[in-house]
Amino acid sequence: MLKRLYDYFVHPLTQIEFRVNRSDRLFVFLSLAPSILITMVVVFLPLFYALYLSFNNAEVVVIGGKGGVQTEWIGLSNYFYFLQDKAFWQGVRVTTYFTMVSLAVELTLGIIVALVLNQEFFGRGLVRALLILPWAVPTVVNARLWGLIYEPQSYGAMNGLFQLLGLTTPDNAINFLTPVPIFQDVPILGQLMGWIGSTSAINWIILADTWKVIPVVALLVLAGLQSIPLDLYEAAKVDGANNWQLFWSITLPMLRPILLVILVFRTMELFRVFDILYILMAYTIPVVGIRTFQETFVFGLFGRGSAIAFLIGLFILLIALVYINLISLEDE
Amino acid sequence: MKNQDTMRLWQYRLSRVGLYFLVALILIWTLAPFTWLFITSISTQAKLNAIPIQWLPNPPTFEHYVAMFDVNNETSLLFIAAMRNSILVATTTTFICLLFGVPAAYSLSRFVFPARNIIVMAMLATRLLPTIALVVPFYIIIVGYIDPVFKMFDTPHNLIILYSSFIIGLVVWIMRGFFTAIPRDLEEQAMVDGATRLQALWYIILPLSFPGLVTTGLLAFLLSWDEFLLALVFSRTPAAFTMPYFVFVVGSSQYYQSPAAVAAGGFLAALPPVILALIFQERLIGGLTDGAVKG
Repeated sequence: MLKRLYDYFVHPLTQIEFRVNRSDRLFVFLSLAPSILITMVVVFLPLFYALYLSFNNAEVVVIGGKGGVQTEWIGLSNYFYFLQDKAFWQGVRVTTYFTMVSLAVELTLGIIVALVLNQEFFGRGLVRALLILPWAVPTVVNARLWGLIYEPQSYGAMNGLFQLLGLTTPDNAINFLTPVPIFQDVPILGQLMGWIGSTSAINWIILADTWKVIPVVALLVLAGLQSIPLDLYEAAKVDGANNWQLFWSITLPMLRPILLVILVFRTMELFRVFDILYILMAYTIPVVGIRTFQETFVFGLFGRGSAIAFLIGLFILLIALVYINLISLEDE
Repeated sequence: MKNQDTMRLWQYRLSRVGLYFLVALILIWTLAPFTWLFITSISTQAKLNAIPIQWLPNPPTFEHYVAMFDVNNETSLLFIAAMRNSILVATTTTFICLLFGVPAAYSLSRFVFPARNIIVMAMLATRLLPTIALVVPFYIIIVGYIDPVFKMFDTPHNLIILYSSFIIGLVVWIMRGFFTAIPRDLEEQAMVDGATRLQALWYIILPLSFPGLVTTGLLAFLLSWDEFLLALVFSRTPAAFTMPYFVFVVGSSQYYQSPAAVAAGGFLAALPPVILALIFQERLIGGLTDGAVKG
């Protein structure tokens, strides 16, 4: 890993030789300048500013339309505050739970759907085209849409489905998005779920969130499946392997690269979850994204908000390094 | 022998039935929730409150869609403003990102120079960094320092600048991949014949990478159409708010009317990206595989 980082970041700096014609240098400079300027000024500068703010008590004061920032250096206090804050750790546990369960569901169902779509059947092209629909639905609309489905009255769609299956009667509708821990009656599991913060609400929201992602995971896996050479299977069949063995010894290992990319990318996306939880649950499920927003824009504590924001940024960048490492492995 | 053949035939038929059953299940699961959004949007309040649940609206009503375009209606003014802002912000962002990102991607694919890999990785990192980590410093910088001098808060150009900063990294990353796949000889030949670097890029490389440009532009458009957090923090009035913000306020504030109105707003907000995605489905999946952009 370190070697790879060195190869990518440090080694090029030691290579002084330009392999660019003199006449092309201006072109290279002009073509890169705007993009670098935009990303530097709008992304990296604010990130370092967030680090600075996180060592401060920061407040935005607006008097008569004139804004101003007041800061007071308090060192690591903001970080110590979160280290000792039980609610923050609760939030970290819920975020981890949300990320891991969603990932497991997305990958498992994504692979199953891809395997089905890889078979020959009538209308396959159409089915495949329609599968992109959930991905295109904006996250906010997705949240609203599932809010309607989870309506806690008998006329809600999910309640209607439960009644159709004979699981409930119209007289006792279920409130899906309630912050009650699941498996409360089971001794150890119930306590564990309570500790993690796995409530009925978060699990139903995982269902809503994965609905949007599973089809596109399936389409990506399908692209991977179609690049596996068929003679691998032929050879294994001659050796008498059954379908189950073919899947574990050929399909899954061949899908490894695309599955890793999906895994790392989705971890980053899931860890920062905000939209759907904010819209459906306001501040009741304290994932790190929601907590950052609340500290900053509800309580007005910009220093504290910056501290979590910076921690999230750092964590995601670490995962990003893993990802960069993966793709540079694939390049070779 | 004959017996075994019939067995096989039945086994085959059974597996086909199972396959079609699974396909039907996948299709229903994928389409049902979005269909429910549409059904809700064309329902009367009486249908929505019917117990036991009434699955299909009878009769359907399009009053909520009509209301969205009726200028005497307060919600309609918000809707039209949000639609206008979304189209403005998403198309301008896409244009800026392509304008600046494509030449940068070209240079990064063709030349070797110090810090090249660092630039490539930094571009990727901007796409990966979560908005939530940047929205706090953004807010302080914009409200505390820039706004007193130059109006930024609650304007579309503010959103365009912020969105471009994220999406330009994505454009550079994907287009670099497309350019790398095009052989260098093509433009080198043209330059031997007297074309400048810019001419070679414009007349030879860009037409060849047109499919890539379409895919990248679409992804940029869809990403800016979808963005919610920055729109939530940086817009207050119809002067700047976009469709996701509209869908949020119409369902949770003084503007709230009925589930059907929320559903109609949501359906209209989802319509442009859904139509684009269905038309360009194959390209988008290709782009996602190449850029591994949005899980």
